[in-house]
Amino acid sequence: MVSNNPAVASGPLLRPGTSAAARLVSVSPDTRRRLQLVLAAIWLLDGVLQYQSFMFSRGFSQMLASVAPGNPAVIADPITWAAKIVAQHPVPTNAAFATIQLLLGLGIACRRTVRPALAASIVWAVAVWWFGEGLGGILNGGASPVNGAPGAVIIYALLAVLLWPVADGDRSGQPEFVAARPVGAVAAKVLWLVLWGSLAYFAVIAANRTAQGLHDMVAGMASGEPGWVGAINRGAADTLAHHGLEASIVLAILLGAIAVGVFLPLPLSRAAVVLAVVISLLIWVVGQDLGGILAGGATDPNSGLLLALLAAAYWPASAVARRSPDPTEAQA
Amino acid sequence: MTPPWILDLFAAIMLLVAGISAGRLVVSRSRSNLAPDPDIDAAHVLMGVAMAGMLASGLRTLPNGVWVGVFAVVTAWFAWRVAAEVRNTGGISAVGAGHHVPHLIHGAAMIYMFVAVSGAAGSASSGGPGMSGMGGMSGMGTLRLPTIGLVFVLLMVGWAVVDLDQLTAARWRGQGSWPTAGGFVPAAPRQRIALAAAGGPALGIAGNGAAPEAAVNSAGAGKASPAEPAASAQPAGVAGAGAARVLQDPRVTTGCRIAMSVTMALMLVLVI
Repeated sequence: MVSNNPAVASGPLLRPGTSAAARLVSVSPDTRRRLQLVLAAIWLLDGVLQYQSFMFSRGFSQMLASVAPGNPAVIADPITWAAKIVAQHPVPTNAAFATIQLLLGLGIACRRTVRPALAASIVWAVAVWWFGEGLGGILNGGASPVNGAPGAVIIYALLAVLLWPVADGDRSGQPEFVAARPVGAVAAKVLWLVLWGSLAYFAVIAANRTAQGLHDMVAGMASGEPGWVGAINRGAADTLAHHGLEASIVLAILLGAIAVGVFLPLPLSRAAVVLAVVISLLIWVVGQDLGGILAGGATDPNSGLLLALLAAAYWPASAVARRSPDPTEAQA
Repeated sequence: MTPPWILDLFAAIMLLVAGISAGRLVVSRSRSNLAPDPDIDAAHVLMGVAMAGMLASGLRTLPNGVWVGVFAVVTAWFAWRVAAEVRNTGGISAVGAGHHVPHLIHGAAMIYMFVAVSGAAGSASSGGPGMSGMGGMSGMGTLRLPTIGLVFVLLMVGWAVVDLDQLTAARWRGQGSWPTAGGFVPAAPRQRIALAAAGGPALGIAGNGAAPEAAVNSAGAGKASPAEPAASAQPAGVAGAGAARVLQDPRVTTGCRIAMSVTMALMLVLVI
């Protein structure tokens, strides 16, 4: 699973007389492990966010229940049922939620438990996507790439699949990109196409292409945010005012280009991945206010950061690098 | 409001960290060849006690102003240590892998928490007594410069996962047990792990048949490398030796740092 490249892994040996406690000196992780660690950090962040005061109040259960309307009954009824349970037992249920997410983060960070933790994170993410996010609003017409569609938490599950630790020893050379290792390049590219293609679609659904749709969405985020975040919101909202249709079309075109970009030759696929990171971070900062963490009451950093992380897993290696497999990868 | 029992639980963990760190200080004084970083252990004691007091009002010890002064000194000390690391290792790039950077950040975060939260509390209740435990603060929802708080949170969770990754990167002799003399074994061929012991030589084990460059002997029987320091006097009893070995284990130090990072991130999130 983990590459321990001796060139980097050895680190500075501490010399006799060094005033330091016995300690390990860094063992450098490979790219996939680095991405796993970012995912672990985000789960850990989710865990501590879940311990906030708001989550133990009735407001949290009301927030859960609010995602049910507009969904088909088969989706909405279980959401309402789960929200009632949380409302009746806010402390034990939320303490359990927070602890589970904390343990998922620590489990992924721990090399010995990375597999079970990733597997558990998939189960947990799918459950939260349904019961906590109402499938990200994809069935109720309220989804937008700016507000977190198709649901931030389902991207955790996707990342867990694409960053699953598998050995590459039985393959000739390196895969094209990290996300291709567990499922193969074609399947990984199809997943990318579906995700970014769906985001392009959501960008131009009826609710998002109104003249003031994006303006209202961005302007509404400013409440409770620190001054600099609020200023960004107001500036972006002013720019988008009465230009919702044009902005939605431009966004859809960019997202569509990203979706097909990974099927193009190397320079273009790299450009698509860079564009994906830029768009993701732009959405995360301007449209999602870093997940609303600074305003309090956020349960996660929202989808922008995760989309950027996902894009990093699709960064294509050069042909030279693929012909020269890292021997330490076989240790995975 | 976050239930007090959750905050009490984290406060207990912080007291445990403080206790372990105090134990390490005591053991290191009685075992001259195993002197860990006393500054790090002392900082952990201070932070553990201070954080426990913030989490549970019944565990408050010193006024906030005193704690700010204490952590200003702690932060300045680790800033000096980091600067020394940069000088000795020849570049700013060494900072990322540096030994003291996390403690510098921890110290700065402690100052931020006391100053930002005290300021918020003061502005909310004009001249109030300051922090009365995190339980009393968690519902305030106001904090000076919350962006800085978020930056600290991200640093804390980042360090926690990297520490945990590094902690589990090595395979230890005797899986599931505390390391015996000789300490680490390589996790895999070509992996080299360095283990340093204060006042003594470092352990570096190179795979692929390379001989260890040095070894550290952590009390007790086992293979000793030529570079091993003279064995220290054995503790009076076997139990004492075992406890000392556990306390000196690098995993304990790293585990304490992970616990501290996670708890600090939690505390910052609660007051953002």
